[in-house]
Amino acid sequence: MYGWSGKRLRVNLTTGEIKHEPLSYEYRRKWIGGRGMNSEVIYNEVPPNLDPLDPEARVCFGVGPISGTAAPASGRVTVSCKSPLTGGFGDSNMGGHWGAELKYAGYDQIIVQGKAKKPVYLWIDDDKVEIRDAAHVWGKFPREADQMIKQELGDEDIHIVLIGPAGENLVRFACTFNDVYRAAGRTGHGAVIGSKNLKGIAVRGSGTVKIARPKEFFDVCNRLRQTFKNDPMRKFLYEIGSLSLINVAVHDGWIGANNFQQGAHPDAHFMSGEEHSTTVLKHREGCFSCPICCGRFTEIKEGPYAGEYGGGPEYEHSVPTGPRVGVFEPNAIWHNMILTNNYGMDGIECGGTIATAMEWYQRGLITTKDTGGLELEWGNQEVVSKLIGMMAMREGFGDILADGASRAADRLGLGDEGHKYTMSTRGMTMPGDDPRGLGFAYGTGFAIGTRGGCDHLRALPSLELSGFMYPGLNTKIIGDERPVKPTTIVGKGYCTFYEENQKAMTDCLNVCCFTTHWSFAVLTADQVEYFNAVTGMDITEEEFMVIGERIVNLERAYWSRMLSGKREDTIPERYVKEPMPQGVPDQTNVGMTFPIQKTLPGYYKYRDYDLETGFPSERRLKMLGLDYVAKDLAPLRAKYNTDAEKKKKKYYY
Amino acid sequence: MSNGKALVYTQEKCTGCRSCVVGCSLYHDGECGKVVSRVAVVRNERFGESFVVGCDMCTDAPCAAVCPTGACAMDTAAGITKINAEKCIGCKECAMACPFGVINMHYKTGKAFKCDLCEGRDAGPVCADWCPSGAISYTSPNIALKAKRRAKLMERLEAAKAGEEG
Repeated sequence: MYGWSGKRLRVNLTTGEIKHEPLSYEYRRKWIGGRGMNSEVIYNEVPPNLDPLDPEARVCFGVGPISGTAAPASGRVTVSCKSPLTGGFGDSNMGGHWGAELKYAGYDQIIVQGKAKKPVYLWIDDDKVEIRDAAHVWGKFPREADQMIKQELGDEDIHIVLIGPAGENLVRFACTFNDVYRAAGRTGHGAVIGSKNLKGIAVRGSGTVKIARPKEFFDVCNRLRQTFKNDPMRKFLYEIGSLSLINVAVHDGWIGANNFQQGAHPDAHFMSGEEHSTTVLKHREGCFSCPICCGRFTEIKEGPYAGEYGGGPEYEHSVPTGPRVGVFEPNAIWHNMILTNNYGMDGIECGGTIATAMEWYQRGLITTKDTGGLELEWGNQEVVSKLIGMMAMREGFGDILADGASRAADRLGLGDEGHKYTMSTRGMTMPGDDPRGLGFAYGTGFAIGTRGGCDHLRALPSLELSGFMYPGLNTKIIGDERPVKPTTIVGKGYCTFYEENQKAMTDCLNVCCFTTHWSFAVLTADQVEYFNAVTGMDITEEEFMVIGERIVNLERAYWSRMLSGKREDTIPERYVKEPMPQGVPDQTNVGMTFPIQKTLPGYYKYRDYDLETGFPSERRLKMLGLDYVAKDLAPLRAKYNTDAEKKKKKYYY
Repeated sequence: MSNGKALVYTQEKCTGCRSCVVGCSLYHDGECGKVVSRVAVVRNERFGESFVVGCDMCTDAPCAAVCPTGACAMDTAAGITKINAEKCIGCKECAMACPFGVINMHYKTGKAFKCDLCEGRDAGPVCADWCPSGAISYTSPNIALKAKRRAKLMERLEAAKAGEEG
């Protein structure tokens, strides 16, 4: 078999049963791999009313047909589950080398279900799969557990997926790491893994990925590698990492300081990638087969945190645990990053939740009586770093915040006023980008993201962001150059639609979106070319994009089954109603709001979502070969629009 | 030392991405994997260290010296130590003798295989061509050494300049 390994591993931790299941040609052709296969499993095996932390819930690790090959940045892994944070569909993906290793061990996917009686970890040595005792690594940071398991198994070259203490303590936004620092951050599957008493999965693979047309594949890869050498975006990402966005974000006003009360802040420059590279950068890191290498490794040299080290930083991780909570001192931000990594928490959700609590405190919704004496003043680094630990260990006020901002609002009884400041959609808080001025397609993507709203990595419509670095690209891809301007409405519906489908395919192949979205060195046509060369198939670009559309619709249908639709396609009120204040003199988006109501209809039109409910339409579902999904949704369409349903406020599920 | 080209490794620049590994295996074997690569990357994830190891084309190659059949021998015209698969008996002596551990046994044939500098490829060895950070370069060691010495001089000049300004 070419590309795929053709089998998946199903592990039931309750019974200890381990099964190798073959994956048919039709199945592989329909769902490709990674995110596609995972989404299919989650839709079909995890009922919408099941508690995400129930033993019967599934957690899937998927890789694609391209994983482990020479295709640029082909080492990613998608982790999917029913999210304990949002209660809806959730997935996230991570780089590192584990994905490739899993492929070399001969698997396209791992499904874990059930719950072990005591802490265990999984040891996959090619065909040999073993459930082993993890009592000695339970409670350990990933960096310690990684080393201990490697020594125990007698091989330092294996790759391990691990959760930290936060996952063990069922923090609802706990994440998963592989290679110690490569996190699949969002949606909280770390808690699902923790709820199964599973500490991690160690893998050793001694196989190879077979290529159908090696000569052709080598030529495509070689061409793309040469393209990367001169790619404008790649230069930034390699030299200064994703923190190269900081200075841009400050100038364009989308850094979201103090829980998005401010778009730009003069002090944010100190945490820019340019500064980082000359102060604490130890060296640059690359995930498997990556021509970009945006990864960093940091070693703090002076101040109270001197001697601390760890992978990162990265833009989306640093902004929420920095400017969003009012902290601008770079070493403090790197310290927060190292802390969240050690405990194994999503930095975005962690920072977002603390920022929310700080705004509640600012507005008098909570006081030191609620917080156990913690003074949640903006920029109080001592409290921020203390809270990170308290959240991970579920101590005191941290226990409330460990359920995420929306649930915390309910636990504290703050009502609608409290929910207003959570800056979230469908229970997940915003990443570090403010759509006012950042881009209208980007903002639309936040409202409709299928892994909980507010997510930048769902549509990632960078045609409007980095598109300007590639003149003529918008015309080439969507037939119109106008959408390249971030703050225009023209073409943004199609732009979001196209990029969302394209991103779904990128996740199915499990290649990094920095090769196809931020940088445009790899276009859809190139992906189809290498996909065909590896697998020996001959699918066209149109067929390729239809698969992406199928996956987006299936995930959307998961939400529809939970009666989440058009009314929930919103973004935090602040972006719509509060004009952007001035933060720095040359800020470009002062006075701007984000007109979500103007951009959504265009998107719906291309998606063919039902205009009454926002559910995927029956005709589109059937066209995409999802007849069974259409059947599931049929009785729910009328139910969604009943008065009782309309009155319900749904912050999470 | 002549001005002939060789693979030069600059460890501090290695990001550990293994672009070299997948490129090498695909170019030579038409499949992708660490076990069929002629170059290897060793990583320590916790401390973020990576180390790339490939053939250094030793002048007095230990692999050739221990080969009992003459399969592993220096092709003097090309300046490349090669392994002739037909003569190789798969005894692993060369693999064990290599000071860098970069000779492997092929999982299909059971015979030894090693770097051949992608002989015949116009753009030079794939590993150096695809390396995103410049950790592997295909250059003349003489020129690389000269650059290294010059860098020392520049350091002194800059220190002197800084002293004047300060």
